[in-house]
Amino acid sequence: MFKVENLMYKYPKNKEDVIRGINFEIKEKEIFGFLGPSGAGKSTTQKILIKILEDYRGKIFYNGKDIQEYSDEFYEEIGVSFEMPIHFSKMTAMENIEFFLKLYKNNANIEDLMKRVGLWEDKDKMVGEYSKGMKIRLNIVRALLNNPKMLFLDEPTNGLDPKNAMILKDMIREFRDQGGTVFITSHIMSDIDQLCDNVAFIVEGEIIEMDSPRNLKIKYGKRSMTLEYKENNETVTVEFPLDGIGKNQEFINLLQTKDIETLHSGETTLEDIFIKVTGVALRDE
Amino acid sequence: MNSQLAILVKGELSRLNKYGVFSISILIAVIWGVVLLLVNSDFLAGLLPFVLFLDATMMSIMYIGAEMHFEKTESTISTMLVTPVSNKNMVLSKVLGNTIHNLVSSLLIIAVFFIAGKAGWTYDVGFNIFVVLAGVIIATSTFTVLGLILSYYQKDFTEMLVSMFVIAIFLMIPSVLLMLGVIQGEEWENLMLLNPMQAAQNIIIGGFPNEAGELVFGFEYFVSLGYILFGGLALFRFLAIPKFQDYAVRQSGV
Repeated sequence: MFKVENLMYKYPKNKEDVIRGINFEIKEKEIFGFLGPSGAGKSTTQKILIKILEDYRGKIFYNGKDIQEYSDEFYEEIGVSFEMPIHFSKMTAMENIEFFLKLYKNNANIEDLMKRVGLWEDKDKMVGEYSKGMKIRLNIVRALLNNPKMLFLDEPTNGLDPKNAMILKDMIREFRDQGGTVFITSHIMSDIDQLCDNVAFIVEGEIIEMDSPRNLKIKYGKRSMTLEYKENNETVTVEFPLDGIGKNQEFINLLQTKDIETLHSGETTLEDIFIKVTGVALRDE
Repeated sequence: MNSQLAILVKGELSRLNKYGVFSISILIAVIWGVVLLLVNSDFLAGLLPFVLFLDATMMSIMYIGAEMHFEKTESTISTMLVTPVSNKNMVLSKVLGNTIHNLVSSLLIIAVFFIAGKAGWTYDVGFNIFVVLAGVIIATSTFTVLGLILSYYQKDFTEMLVSMFVIAIFLMIPSVLLMLGVIQGEEWENLMLLNPMQAAQNIIIGGFPNEAGELVFGFEYFVSLGYILFGGLALFRFLAIPKFQDYAVRQSGV
């Protein structure tokens, strides 16, 4: 759906490029994640893809056509949720939504969306009276109100409590399952891990690694099995290589003879893999 | 007007109302009414052209500056950039919204002076309403465009107020001094034609009769009209629209 070739970008006041020749493809009906620390170039890339930033070098194609050839009609097909709240605070949530709704040809069912994010009861409240979490949820309604084909989400769960973050993640998956395509930028590993079909690690404007979270875990994971059992009132921990585990007699004996407390495969987290691959911690802002 | 532009203008007017800008205009008109009633002075009635001139120029810059400041603090420009609305329509809607608001504000002030004249609180100020309103609309539009462009380069509302102060010192005060006859002479009058404040004043005062009770549309009126009209269009076309994208991108955190 989106194809990015050798993308480079330099802010007018900077001497060096902040995006340094990145290449990636976002396929239709997938959730593609950009994982990286603050200042890595995630939001800048998103702003280029949604045609806010111009003067980039390289090529970007949307449905096979250079995005520079698209007029403002481009925005009929995309929805964008920014990291910060973007509403008129002296207007109610519904007045905000109705204003933006009229600017699009295609309109979603607002009542359904507002109910889904838990804002329907507060629809007539001034946005200025909303909490940060409520404003973020309203951002999502704003992004979805034109029934977009492609959704851009910048740090979508930042500022949300776990319950609302879960609702939002469910909505993103449903959007994908119904044929939509999603581009997410985040520094929150769990968001990317739980949602994305494919992920790119971006550091200092360069993509260091790109694959599905599962493949990355297989590629960089520890491939071991850790077993904990009780013996003489003490917990004993033993680690076995995952390869050939079914034929490992010592492992089988322990399973058969000991009081097993825990059994874990040595699956590395995406955050560990990110640090291993890039040498940069995600929360080093 | 296309439907998208109509939606945007309606949105602008709605927000001006929500942010209390309309209430301020009504309050100003009421204050004028009270002052005219209490002071009962013909001198004050003679100030109507000046009040309308001030409303169309300095107040236009201040209202659009305030609106842009509110939008800046709420980051709403960012989300407007990802709608199927062209920059031209976004800028035009702000100019039209502010001009309509200022027109209403001017009409309220005119109504107060009219009522004061008919009620005998002051003398009846006679004028050609169509010429006056045409002057108000053209001057307001141009000064709104000017205010918009100024707001692109100002970090906060304080900077906007400083700019207004500079405009008042270098453009408005000379114009007022000429109106009051403090500075006189043909050379001054010709030189002041370069001052957009003076030009705005000329096209509004053009609707008020001279001492002989006649409307006079002389050389100054038409030069001022062309200056404000085409100057405003040029500012809109060559600065307000092209620089809007840069301004809006800066508001998105760049």
